[in-house]
This record gives sequence, structure tokens and C-alpha cells, in this order.
Amino acid sequence: MDLNQNENALLEHIQEARERGEAKAPKAEELGIGVESAYKVQAAMGEGRKLKGYKLGLISPAKQTQMGVDSPIYGRIYEGMILESPVSLSSMIEPRLEPELAVVLGEDLPPDASPGAAHSAMGGLFLAVDFLSSVWEDYEFGAADVVADNASGGGFLLGERLLIEPLEGNLRLYHNGRLLTEGPVGDMGNVGERLAWLSKAVGGLNAGQTILVGSPAAASKAAPGTLELHGPRGSVLVANLQD
Amino acid sequence: MSERAAGTAIDAEALARRLDEAWENRKPVAPLSESEGLEDLEKAYEIQTSWSELRLSRGERIVGRKIGLTSLAMQEQLGVSEPDYGSLWESRYFPAQGGRAEIPAEPLLQPFLEGELAFLIGRPLSGPGVTLQQALAATDALAVAVEVVDSRIEDWNIKLPDTIADNASYGGFTTGPWSRSLREADLRTVGMLINQSGSRVAEGLGAASLGHPARAVAWLANKLASFGTSLEPGDIVLSGSLGRAVPAQQGDVFVLEAHGQPPLTVSFA
Repeated sequence: MDLNQNENALLEHIQEARERGEAKAPKAEELGIGVESAYKVQAAMGEGRKLKGYKLGLISPAKQTQMGVDSPIYGRIYEGMILESPVSLSSMIEPRLEPELAVVLGEDLPPDASPGAAHSAMGGLFLAVDFLSSVWEDYEFGAADVVADNASGGGFLLGERLLIEPLEGNLRLYHNGRLLTEGPVGDMGNVGERLAWLSKAVGGLNAGQTILVGSPAAASKAAPGTLELHGPRGSVLVANLQD
Repeated sequence: MSERAAGTAIDAEALARRLDEAWENRKPVAPLSESEGLEDLEKAYEIQTSWSELRLSRGERIVGRKIGLTSLAMQEQLGVSEPDYGSLWESRYFPAQGGRAEIPAEPLLQPFLEGELAFLIGRPLSGPGVTLQQALAATDALAVAVEVVDSRIEDWNIKLPDTIADNASYGGFTTGPWSRSLREADLRTVGMLINQSGSRVAEGLGAASLGHPARAVAWLANKLASFGTSLEPGDIVLSGSLGRAVPAQQGDVFVLEAHGQPPLTVSFA
């Protein structure tokens, strides 16, 4: 992928932060990089890695307004980012957690798929925990910064049981028995619409890809201990987090 | 002699014929690990493949795969840390009708019976990198299953390469009705009882197979990828025993019960 000089500078800035495991001040605005260029930086950063799927971020209109964008954003999920318990937090920068849902696609989706077609293409729906890891200090960033930094994608845990629709109730995330964060599943909107939007944005999706469809709750700091995510109809995901 | 030299001296096709004769004549053979010094696992899979090809050339069909050595207890017993797999030959598939299956005891050598979950694959599943969730998403339905394990090796005196070469000790199988709702169950907590003549002889739990039966299916898809193959729509996968193996002989009647599923009766006729 061809990057211009400023896009390259942002790429190197992020890569250096990742290698050192240290957060930095946001840089996209200073370099005059907008969201579209930031996606080029994101793609270049993952070149040569095997793509396993995507994650959506900023799914709520309130967050979008706050960040000055009019759609969700997406990041890429590469091989090795789908985690199993116990999860090591040591390679993540200021890790935070979000309770989510994940879709595994059963069919390919063309870029112009309708929301209904996207819904039909779902092979399975699972509980998920999104481990955020950001190179931007205190998660204070502009939309282009977070897009270039792969939408803060650090890793993902997935539930081991298919969820049954319709989904109701809350996603509740606990750490060492204490409620960390929660949000209503209803706030996540229509999963088919999200998948259709993503398919258009990335030029089509493939069967077998894993899509994290966003979080209805605020992110919360991650620390070693026992993590529990409770979801619709008694579904649960339990994991151990380590340094 | 180095391992490599021992491996190259082994004629996979000849050993496949030897196992096939044991299968056909019901006369077990000495462990290949002892008589042939078989140690190399790739060579063992080569013998298995050779045997399958021999049977296919005579009209046999492969209807799916079985995964073996999925429990910690079995892995410890054989001193291994990974499962193995074999092929499900159609000539030994005995689908249940009205909840009953009759399995002929006569062609078997030294059979045991195991309670399992069978997966019906609905979409292609190719490794590497297949996750448990991808395995579930590619599955159309599940069924309770009884697998007959049997060994062409004398007295079940097997090491890992022996059972791999011997089609993962496949003997035959039967399944209950395919259930789409079982796909949505928490497969880790699905429990099973095996009754024999009205007494409970074994119990099993989904989590006994690699922590989750779908994890075993994902392992299989990834293992098959290293041999250049994949799971395809219509394949049946036996995902590993959920409890201990029970010895079976002619005249025995077993009833397998799993939560939420109709019972499956197996007669050894």
C-alpha cells in the first residue's frame, strides 16, 4: 500500500509506541490526516498478517457526535487476536474492557448486501469481550488517531455458546465479583444493519469471519483477576486475566 | 537406527493391507510400534490414509471423521498431549430408527462403546486458525451418538502411532436424530448417561472433550489443514468420548440418555 509522507510518519509513530509499549500524544491532526487516510495507515500496519475479521467502534450516535464522525468506525482482527483464557494483559497498552457481541459469518456478504441479507448470513452470535489497547494517552484521541491505531484493537474473547435471538436484557461485565460496566443489548441497534454497513465499507465480507459488533456500555480498565460477562438467557463467559 | 531411518523403512501400503486383513478376518496383529518400530506420527497417518484408499477402491465411502484421545484421562494414559483423528467408513454406520440401532457384534474384534456428540457440518470449514466459534457457526445440527471403538492391535496394546495407523481405533457408530436446538445448548454442560441392562455403567459431560466438543471440531479442521484437506458440508464429526469406554459383547443392550434428547438404544446383535 502506498502511503504519503505524513501517513508514513503516523504509521511509524504508532509502530514505535507499540514496540515500546508506551502511550503517546495524538498526532493525526498535526499531520493533517483525516479518517480516510487513517484507514490507509491501519491497513498498512497489518500488511502480511492474516485477516480473521473486523471490530466496530463508536456505534452510538452520541459517541459519534462527540468524535465528529457520522458513522461507526472499524478495525481489523488478525490471527492471534482471538484470545483464550487465561489472557495476558502484558502486551497491551493501558488495556480496557468492553462487553460486546460477536458474529461469525456463515455466508459471504457482497458490498451491497441489504441488512436483511446480512442478518441471514450470520452463522452464529456469541458473547464477546473486547480488550482495548490504545497508543494514545488516556484514550484521548481524534477519530483519525483511533482509526489509524486499528480502532484500539488489543484482543478478543468469545463466548462458547450460540446465543438465541431475540436478544434481550443487559450485558453485565464483572471483575473479581464486582460489577464493572453494563449496558442494554437493545442499545446496540440492528446487527444486520451494522454488518451491511461494514460490508460496504470494506468491500465485502467472507464466510467464517468474526465481527465484533460494538458495545452498549462504557469501557472499563482491565486488571488481573476473574472476569465474568453475563448476557441474554443466562449466557456467560468466564475468563482469567493475568499480568 | 535413527527415527528417520526407521520411518523410511516402513512400507505404508503393506501395513495398511495388514490392518485391513485384521479388520476383515477379525484377527488382531502385534502393535506396529513394536513389530515395525513405528514412531513417526506422519508415517502413522500415511498408513491410515493408505488403508482408507484401499477400502475406497472397493466401494467404501467416507461419511465424516472421528476425533479420539480428547479426554485428559486418555491423553495421560497414552502419554500424549494432543487428540488424533480417523475416518468414518459408511459400511459401519448404523443410523438409528425410532430411537433404536442394531449393531452387529460379529465383525468386531474387541469392541467398546462410547457416548459422544456428533456434529453435522453445514458449511466448509478449513484451517488453519479455525476457532471454536467458527466450528459452531459451520455446524447445521448435532446429535447424540454412540461410537464403537475397536482395535486391530492385540489386547488394545496401543501407543499413539498404533491407534493413528489403525484409523483411530474406529469400529462403527450410530446417531440419534439431528437436532438444531442442540446446537444452541451450552455444550460444555450437556450430560449423558449410559445404561446397560437397566444399570448405569457410565456418565459423561460435554466439557470432557477438550473442554468443549466444538473445540475438538476446530482442532480437527486445523489438523486436516496440515494434510491439505478440510471439513465439507454433509460431513459427520464424532467429537470425542464424553466419559469412559464400556466393553460390549453380543447380546448387550445399552441405552444412552442425554439431557433434552430422546434416548438412543443400541443392541449388540
